[in-house]
Amino acid sequence: MSGAINVRTIPAGTRVTLASGAEVEVVSNPQDGVWLVGRYLTSDDPTLVGAEDMIFAQDVVSLRDQG
Amino acid sequence: MPMNDMRGYQPSLVDMTTGLISREIFVNEDIYAQEQERVFARAWLFIGHESQIPNPGDFFVSRMGEESVILCRDRASEVHVFLNSCRHRGMKVCRYDDGNATVFTCPYHGWSFGTDGALVGVPFFREAYHSELDKSKYSLVRVAQLCRYKGTVWATWDAAAPPFLEYLGAFTGFLDLILDGWDGREGQAELLGGVQKWIIPCNWKFPAENFSGDTYHNISHRSVDLVGAGPSGRSRRDYGELNVARKLHVAIPDRGHQTITYVLPKDHEPQPAYQNSPEVAEYFRHCEEERRRRPGANPRLMGAPGEIFPNVALLPRQPRTLAVWHPKNAHETEVWRFFFVDRDAPRPVKNFLRDYYIRYSGPAGMTEQDDMENWNYAHAASRGVIARRYPYTYEMGMGRAVEDWEWEGLRMPGRVIDLTKAQASEEPMRNLYGRWAQFMEAGSWDELMPWRQSAIGKARAAE
Repeated sequence: MSGAINVRTIPAGTRVTLASGAEVEVVSNPQDGVWLVGRYLTSDDPTLVGAEDMIFAQDVVSLRDQG
Repeated sequence: MPMNDMRGYQPSLVDMTTGLISREIFVNEDIYAQEQERVFARAWLFIGHESQIPNPGDFFVSRMGEESVILCRDRASEVHVFLNSCRHRGMKVCRYDDGNATVFTCPYHGWSFGTDGALVGVPFFREAYHSELDKSKYSLVRVAQLCRYKGTVWATWDAAAPPFLEYLGAFTGFLDLILDGWDGREGQAELLGGVQKWIIPCNWKFPAENFSGDTYHNISHRSVDLVGAGPSGRSRRDYGELNVARKLHVAIPDRGHQTITYVLPKDHEPQPAYQNSPEVAEYFRHCEEERRRRPGANPRLMGAPGEIFPNVALLPRQPRTLAVWHPKNAHETEVWRFFFVDRDAPRPVKNFLRDYYIRYSGPAGMTEQDDMENWNYAHAASRGVIARRYPYTYEMGMGRAVEDWEWEGLRMPGRVIDLTKAQASEEPMRNLYGRWAQFMEAGSWDELMPWRQSAIGKARAAE
């Protein structure tokens, strides 16, 4: 198995860590295997914290927990 | 005989004064390429039916000419039609026939579009584009105009085209025969089952011409008549009324729409039909009575095959279907056939009709197979360099059409040929190709709307 994360199976509420180090909570999953809709919980860029954004699958490096 | 060095469309190929039309318009690849731009990029085209996308996020992938488009209901329930092509490198963003989605994501580089067409996801937007890409410039390409009419969805790429109902003109009443309920209530049709799709080896104009009102080819369906594929096990259809009806060709000039239709005598009573199934017979008897009582419904008009320019065929009565002749290349057409039924019809009625419809139409339908043999072999036999030198004749019934046709108080729009005795004419085909030639020659929609000029002229004359 590769270390790639299958974002298609990640449910809403899951917290994920991005390559930038930011932590994001998944808001919804279009299940296209490419994108998640997430809300930034932490980020080096303070303007992102609290914002909803599209999260690209290749940016997701690890899963934290569900809520 | 001069050698043929035809390169593209020329006005002399469609000669309405002699009724002769060159085979080149069917088999010439340069002309085919020109008509994609001049006809299919300008005309109103059929996209689908709202019953295919009842919920937010529902989509149906359709076609406009050769191009794939997405019919979609967004999260706010607005209906859209988009070109199915990513704005980054052109990959199809949707490769399913239909379904439900929150986004359309391009599998190539991952650009993602909302159900309203907006570009919502760009991989490495901050890192690679430095947040400088203006996403609002790269929404999915949307059609210039969209019209929802009694459940059907139509669109055009041309912002200068007239509104859809003006494009239809007086032909609207014939389309209504499919879309309204059998009892006369407006817009009661829904799609029955899926869309049947298949490819036939002929130019799209062969079926378009046939469905414009070719009654001359009925001998092709003799075997179906003998088999008795009709709803009551006789002939092809239950059309007891034909013994007393007037049979007409109706062509709407300057629009390119035309049809066969039947007009019943005033105060005519419904005839028995569907006698092999008492429940179905009772349903239609009840509907016919309701239709006769309902103001605005036209119980004297019986629908029959017709064509909305350029590539939508209607069959309003038996079976009740729309077909779209999608051009694939000069020598191939992808046929999509949509079957309709009254939304409120009992399930046994829908089941009965589905069996009859697929027995009659579609790739396995007996009459469709008869037709396809004719179109496919006619196309193949017209491609050769010798065959191309000899035009087809459309002289039947030239000069015989009348305007303001009326019978027992029912007036018909457009140019009419009474087929009750004549049996056949080629007025509908001349109307189709006359309009096709207008599209091939006109530089703008101003030239394609002569009715507006005549309306202005009448208004000025009245002043």
